[in-house]
Amino acid sequence: MAKKWLPALSLISLAGCLAVPVLHFLGKLGSDSYKLVFLAASVGWFVFATLWARRK
Amino acid sequence: MAGRLASIASQMDRLYEFDREPVSPDKLQSGGKFAGLLAGEHVAATEFVIGAFFVLHGVTAKDLFVGLLIGNLLAVLSWTFICAPIAIRTRLTLYWYLRRIAGPGLTIIYNLANAILYCILAGAMIAVSATAVGLGFRIKTPALNAVFPSSIGWVLLTIVIGALFTTLAILGFEKLSRFAEVCSPWIFIVFIAGALAVLPRLGVRTDFGNFWEIASTKIWNGIPVAGQDRFSLWHIVFFAWFCNLAMHIGLSDLAIFRYAKKWTYGLYTAFGMYPGHMLAWICSGIMVAAVGREMNPGLMAYESAGLAGVAGLLLAGWTTANPTLYRAGLALQTITPNWPRWKVTLAAGVITTVLSCFPVFFVKLLDYVAIYGLVLMPIGAIVFAEHWLFPRLSLEQYSAEKRGWTFNWMVLGVWAGTLVICFLMPIHLYFRWLPGYFIALISYILLSLGRKR
Repeated sequence: MAKKWLPALSLISLAGCLAVPVLHFLGKLGSDSYKLVFLAASVGWFVFATLWARRK
Repeated sequence: MAGRLASIASQMDRLYEFDREPVSPDKLQSGGKFAGLLAGEHVAATEFVIGAFFVLHGVTAKDLFVGLLIGNLLAVLSWTFICAPIAIRTRLTLYWYLRRIAGPGLTIIYNLANAILYCILAGAMIAVSATAVGLGFRIKTPALNAVFPSSIGWVLLTIVIGALFTTLAILGFEKLSRFAEVCSPWIFIVFIAGALAVLPRLGVRTDFGNFWEIASTKIWNGIPVAGQDRFSLWHIVFFAWFCNLAMHIGLSDLAIFRYAKKWTYGLYTAFGMYPGHMLAWICSGIMVAAVGREMNPGLMAYESAGLAGVAGLLLAGWTTANPTLYRAGLALQTITPNWPRWKVTLAAGVITTVLSCFPVFFVKLLDYVAIYGLVLMPIGAIVFAEHWLFPRLSLEQYSAEKRGWTFNWMVLGVWAGTLVICFLMPIHLYFRWLPGYFIALISYILLSLGRKR
């Protein structure tokens, strides 16, 4: 994966972690879906941010 | 005895040799670096417990918000006006600066006290993490009045987690520190996400129009749970202020601020106090209210953010226990000359793990935080007096260094005497450190004036 994409993908994952509870709070996402998507976005953050940190 | 002490002191000096010299101008760090470091440093697993305890202690919403605003401001000002100015003038760690004032022997005692306090703190982190893992194994979280472990399951769980944390700390402290940098912004998000997600359950409308009403009646409603004393505005102000007492008033953060370009960099601690402490404590308060005011960080994290929440709690515990174990190991190395790094980290880990089995350090965390700051505070007062007031009063600075003393008995006397007086004070534990600080400051100056005559 191109190095230049890692910061963007990391930040998108982190933004996703923040957006999902907002959607749940607004009633647009059920509790189970919120927890699942939050978990997926969290995994995304750890994968991309770790790769980003290693290449810095 | 004197020979043994000299040998330990010389071992200790070698350990800290790398920061013996004042920081050179080319090593100074930018304000942005300070903001990032301080923002990440103040979101730990214990934040899950602290904010929740404010709810259990029946603080009102108004007292909480006003108290946190004032208390955190006082903490920021303490870093800015007390810690940072000394740091940029000396460019030394507290270890080396205290050595000049108190002598190498007393610095050993200070280090040992620090090591024990660090081990207890890391033990509390392990216990908090254990509540997350225990959820999967149906192991009951200890009661709020528990001192000793209540089940074999809890003991086994804390031992396994303690062993895991210790092993990882032995395998690679530096790699883990880099991983902690990745974890830190995400852990912060876990707090916000968790609180936001449970707001509808508490009845907060999507337009936030009734937030204050819900906050005042269902979260911080002014009613303590059974067995907890009621907190007022002043408890919150003082707690927020002394939560990092050892670091600002106690001057441990000379280690960080010696890299600052200006003393005003102390203001960057606001990034740790407001988005860090204040927001995290508010979020954990909301989460505990959503689980029926049950002090169970694992349950709070799972109910509010699912498996990611549990992972967040575990990682928050791990990433903060890791440097704490390292620091405890470094401090313990003073009495274990020639031990390799792995062996001393193992020793610190074993002590920490044993302590983590006792739930008292986790369920009485707020009191422990107060005691931690209180024990180290007199040293901060003594260093402050020596640095700023001695030259103005024409008193000799750094007597221990100039006269080659191993022990500055006056420092030891003021330190111990202040603690005895604080112990006997008929006021709440949270308020004792402030009069104690002035007692230490004034008595050290008076005794020094007496010695001069």
